[in-house]
Amino acid sequence: MTTSPVPAGASPAPDPDGNAVTTDPTVSATRRYHVDEDWLATVVGLVLLGLVLTGVVGAGVIP
Amino acid sequence: MAATDTPDPGTRPDTAGRHDSAVATADDRPTTRPADDIPGAPESNPGTWWLVAGLLLVVVLGALTRVLEQNIPVWAEGTAFGSVAKSVEFPVYAIALGLLGNGVLVLLGVRDKLAAAFRTEFFIKTGVVLLGASVNLSLIVTAAVPAIVQALVLISSVFLFTWWLGGRLGLDDKLRALLGSAVSICGVSAAISAAGAVQAKREQLAYAATLVIVFALPSIFVLPWLAETLGLAPAVAGAWIGGNIDTTAAVAAAGALAGEDVLALATIVKTTQNALIGVVAIALTAYFALKVERTGDAPRLGVGEIWRRFPKFVLGFLVASVIATVYATQVGSDVAKPVIGVANDLRTIFFILAFVSIGLGFTVRSLRTAGWRPVLVFGGATLFNLVVGLLLASVLFRGFTL
Repeated sequence: MTTSPVPAGASPAPDPDGNAVTTDPTVSATRRYHVDEDWLATVVGLVLLGLVLTGVVGAGVIP
Repeated sequence: MAATDTPDPGTRPDTAGRHDSAVATADDRPTTRPADDIPGAPESNPGTWWLVAGLLLVVVLGALTRVLEQNIPVWAEGTAFGSVAKSVEFPVYAIALGLLGNGVLVLLGVRDKLAAAFRTEFFIKTGVVLLGASVNLSLIVTAAVPAIVQALVLISSVFLFTWWLGGRLGLDDKLRALLGSAVSICGVSAAISAAGAVQAKREQLAYAATLVIVFALPSIFVLPWLAETLGLAPAVAGAWIGGNIDTTAAVAAAGALAGEDVLALATIVKTTQNALIGVVAIALTAYFALKVERTGDAPRLGVGEIWRRFPKFVLGFLVASVIATVYATQVGSDVAKPVIGVANDLRTIFFILAFVSIGLGFTVRSLRTAGWRPVLVFGGATLFNLVVGLLLASVLFRGFTL
């Protein structure tokens, strides 16, 4: 990803996701990381709920 | 300005386009530094063993929270502390143990190495998905209209107030956008989304994220207390807490302190605000491209871009509510109640891990460099949010039955 300052009058080039490139890669990385974390939390939460509803995880398992 | 001067990530550039801050100029250069000072950001990679050790620490402190929560009321019975101990809920123990652990780790010089395991956002989002199982779909449907109206009015008014106040105090436009998004929508997540939209610097993101946590910590305890003191009904209290406390984790902590009904409504209101991140980010992208940076190119404003920025755990919360509501309808409430109770226990475990992580991950490092003006803007915006939020919650959720 290019990190050069955007020249006056020019628009920033899009990154592979179609988002405007920020001047700071840390910010872009942080945003992508949050999207991944959102999905992970959704999957983990729903899988755990599925295990509870099917009786795999019962009351005795939770401390 | 000399390179050794105190850097100020919130300084507005002068008329010649130069920044009067050494750091602002230095940050025009690309940086690949790790985001150790941005709460919720991917950390530098100190190694698998540090990650495992950090996770173990979170789990041990979480287990200790559970022990204290269950036993302190018993141990304190018959003492002067007995009545207080009964009213202290698990978020208090979890945050206190996290902060205590944080202090010890800083003294030992290993906090930053372990920080990759302090995943507050992941733990709280998983907890919120599980919370969906205990919220009947009919409650979400009934609360949807007032929650959306409250979110739209609150986000618009608080964002514009913060933008105006930041301008009056001479803050950089990007920092104004970050602070406005953080206060008006949902804290760290919104600041991160806005930072991408306005091409903010990492120092500005770190600063906004730190301010969110610094203001959220006392709010966890003050808002439930205020709601009780003001005699607010659970629905109004939940809408007020959900609309005011910036970060979802802190909303969950405050809701848990105030009671199960308050927690449910606060979460619905907060997830509604979360869902609007994408819309605000798109508006900011357009505004900065066309008015502030004047690049002349309108960004893509399609549904795809809004979807990319949409917080997906909100869908998890809704799906969990649908699944649990259908399950309860099919098996009957007598069978469903203990089963959903297990999901609630799991949710509490994730909330505890999140609150422990809030304490462990707390740092004020970036605040030292930014001066008093952004703090004043954030404080003023928070007060404005409190007052407008209370008015809106009182009007929109008056007579709302839970």
